[in-house]
Amino acid sequence: MGPLIPQEIISLDWNLVIAFVVGIGFGFVLEASGFSSSRKLAGIFYGYDTVVLKVFFTAAITAMLGLLYLSLFGWIDLNLVYVNPTYLWSAIIGGIIMGLGFIIGGFCPGTSVCAAAIGKIDAMVFIIGIIIGIFIFGEGFPIWKEFHEAGNLGSLKIQDIIGISGGLFTFLIIIFAMILFKTGEWAESQFTREEY
Amino acid sequence: MRNYSSLGYLTQVFIILGLVIAFVPENTTLPYKLSAGEMLEEIQIGSEFIHPDELADLIINKDPSFQLIDVRSTDEFQKYSLPGAINIPLNLILADEWSDILNQDTKMNIFYSNGSTLAHKAWMIIRQVGFENNYLLQGGLNYWLEVILNPQKPKSTDPNDEFAKYNFRKGARQFFETSSPSTGNVREISAPKPIIKRTKKKKAPQGGC
Repeated sequence: MGPLIPQEIISLDWNLVIAFVVGIGFGFVLEASGFSSSRKLAGIFYGYDTVVLKVFFTAAITAMLGLLYLSLFGWIDLNLVYVNPTYLWSAIIGGIIMGLGFIIGGFCPGTSVCAAAIGKIDAMVFIIGIIIGIFIFGEGFPIWKEFHEAGNLGSLKIQDIIGISGGLFTFLIIIFAMILFKTGEWAESQFTREEY
Repeated sequence: MRNYSSLGYLTQVFIILGLVIAFVPENTTLPYKLSAGEMLEEIQIGSEFIHPDELADLIINKDPSFQLIDVRSTDEFQKYSLPGAINIPLNLILADEWSDILNQDTKMNIFYSNGSTLAHKAWMIIRQVGFENNYLLQGGLNYWLEVILNPQKPKSTDPNDEFAKYNFRKGARQFFETSSPSTGNVREISAPKPIIKRTKKKKAPQGGC
């Protein structure tokens, strides 16, 4: 039966309404988990707090498992699920810029909005920075258009490249995540900070 | 600092779920859209039929909103086919190479065969898979031949409608006899492909945190 919107079980017009509700839930959970503190977020870079890693990796493996089980029960057609196309060079450079912005500013885009909502001034400055960045990117687009669209590999899935089933790949990612979590906990014990 | 050691229990859940999914074969069955009951209902209504008159009208007016699918064998297709038809033999109806042509919601798929049995089979399969806008030629090419290419003059006592139909069919016959590839003049299979593959829905919101 799923995905609900591409199959037109839920009308496309509901898309934004659902996004709004999910977005509010997402923001609430971010704030409730302390993700509106840039010190907590920056902890992942210094090793004293790796909860960011745990939360987002857990989200990823939960979603992977959820999709595969829904597909197994015939409740979702994975061929209809939108997969972002991979633009190799944009992804690499974008990742570097995102990482730099994260450690310099102390927020990622979602958490900055969260922190701004509870009145943090540094987050508001961060958002102004995002808007300036968007403006420069948009206005200067003809300059980097060619680079932006280079290395288009289409809608890739890693499991298809290495030729294993989605289930096996998910299992490997789960094992990988668990190793990372353990490493994170080890790092926390090495670089403990009392207050942040 | 807080301790997140509740991870131990979650770890086990994830690993067990992961192990199961790693060894289960992927679900490759097509998601069926109609239940048997819904199918029966559609067949009983009979709205899937296109009368030869309607089809002739569509072809003559070069209506862009339909595509003809000939589900007979390639041999038969090459001997005689309707103008503009795409040959997809019934055994290939689910092949990947044709799914872009059959699975689109901009054009009507009108199936035809010699009678209507073969076309009806194709229609049922395609309808069952969940593709949109499927019809078939009522009575197939046999009825087409009878109605369009050899129209019978109505009796003088018949209502005016019958005469209007007869006149239309006479005109249609002239059209198809002069322009159709009724003998030889085979159309290649690489018939006009519909441009739209799968309607791109609005891109989902992107990005992580």
